[in-house]
Amino acid sequence: MSTINFATREINFKIVYYGPGLSGKTTNLKFVYSRIPEDRKGEMVSLATEDERTLFFDFLPVDLGEVKGFKTRFHLYTVPGQVFYNASRKLILRGVDGIVFVADSAPNRLRANAESMRNLRENLAEYELSLEEIPMVLQINKRDLPDALPVDMVRAVIDPEQKYPVFEAVAIQGKGVFEPLREVSRMVLGRLAPQK
Amino acid sequence: MIEPSIALFGESFEEASRVLEQLIEDTGAQYALLVDRKGFVLAHKEALWAPRPPALDSLATLVAGNAAATKALAELLGEPRFSELVHQGERQGLYVEEVNDLTLLVIIFDQNAPVGRVKLFGKRAAGMLDRITERAKVESSAARKRLGLDTEYRESASALLDDLFGDL
Ligand SMILES: Nc1nc2c(ncn2[C@@H]2O[C@H](COP(=O)(O)OP(=O)(O)OP(=O)(O)O)[C@@H](O)[C@H]2O)c(=O)[nH]1
Ligand SMILES: [Mg+2]
Repeated sequence: MSTINFATREINFKIVYYGPGLSGKTTNLKFVYSRIPEDRKGEMVSLATEDERTLFFDFLPVDLGEVKGFKTRFHLYTVPGQVFYNASRKLILRGVDGIVFVADSAPNRLRANAESMRNLRENLAEYELSLEEIPMVLQINKRDLPDALPVDMVRAVIDPEQKYPVFEAVAIQGKGVFEPLREVSRMVLGRLAPQK
Repeated sequence: MIEPSIALFGESFEEASRVLEQLIEDTGAQYALLVDRKGFVLAHKEALWAPRPPALDSLATLVAGNAAATKALAELLGEPRFSELVHQGERQGLYVEEVNDLTLLVIIFDQNAPVGRVKLFGKRAAGMLDRITERAKVESSAARKRLGLDTEYRESASALLDDLFGDL
């Protein structure tokens, strides 16, 4: 749940990029970092292995600005996608307000997409949370691959009921990076201030 | 269940800040922070003579991540918890004490502050902060009401989102 500090008049949200290993989560954050103006972002922290695989998390704080007298800030995190890092992946989900699920369009990653989504549900369940409560958007990444699977096929394994907003992306070129982030942020804010 | 959030209102924030201030005075530490376990800074104080602090956002995030990993390790070993955590460098040290399920106390100190003293007063301060933050736990709906978060908030936040994430 959002952390509200009345005294310093700040509202903070936590958005987590989730998805299978190598789907492009870190690439998303790096692109966001490269484009946000200096005065709107903090340092990016990456806890990664020698070969640039996320080991614990990437972290990037982004300042939205002041809304009705409250400094509104988003903390963006990525999880390590590799299956055997589940213990640390679970820790990052603590207190999550919104999720960007980054799926990989490569044919040989179809199953990994499905497994990662199942893993997300299981890990949320350990915090007694479900995807019914947490806003989520889907990013189908690596659309530039020559053998990229059709979007519908990828979606069918992670979102068969078509419940979540979908965005196509080529994160490495910065395409389709900001749209899902903006949408999930909107959904998160909407939950904080529900329609009357 | 959604985790309750901490909302430090005027009075509890003042109280927490005073505890941190006193802690700095008692120990000679450079910085003292109250952070929640999700990695957000709730309150912080620095000694008048201390140099500019490092990025507090990053600090809080790494401390919270570290504490979460330490806790998971304790559970693996069948321990309910490992208590305090000290990292001692050549010039500076970092001390982390669990306040409660929601918050952590972080103290950064240099050679001028003896570790024993930091630990002693750190534990005492953690006890006080525990009482203060327990009172500050809120139902999110109550927090929203108190904030007056409404359609207007959502709309102006939405406009800012477009500015920042829209045409980059
Ligand atoms: N072709 C193509 N490659 C991409 C795209 N986005 C990312 N990549 C590449 O995919 C590889 C993995 O990207 P990362 O962002 O590190 O993946 P990750 O999801 O963070 O991986 P883990 O940290 O292991 O979970 C890198 O070599 C990227 O350059 C894309 O849109 N198209
Ligand atoms: Mg990564």
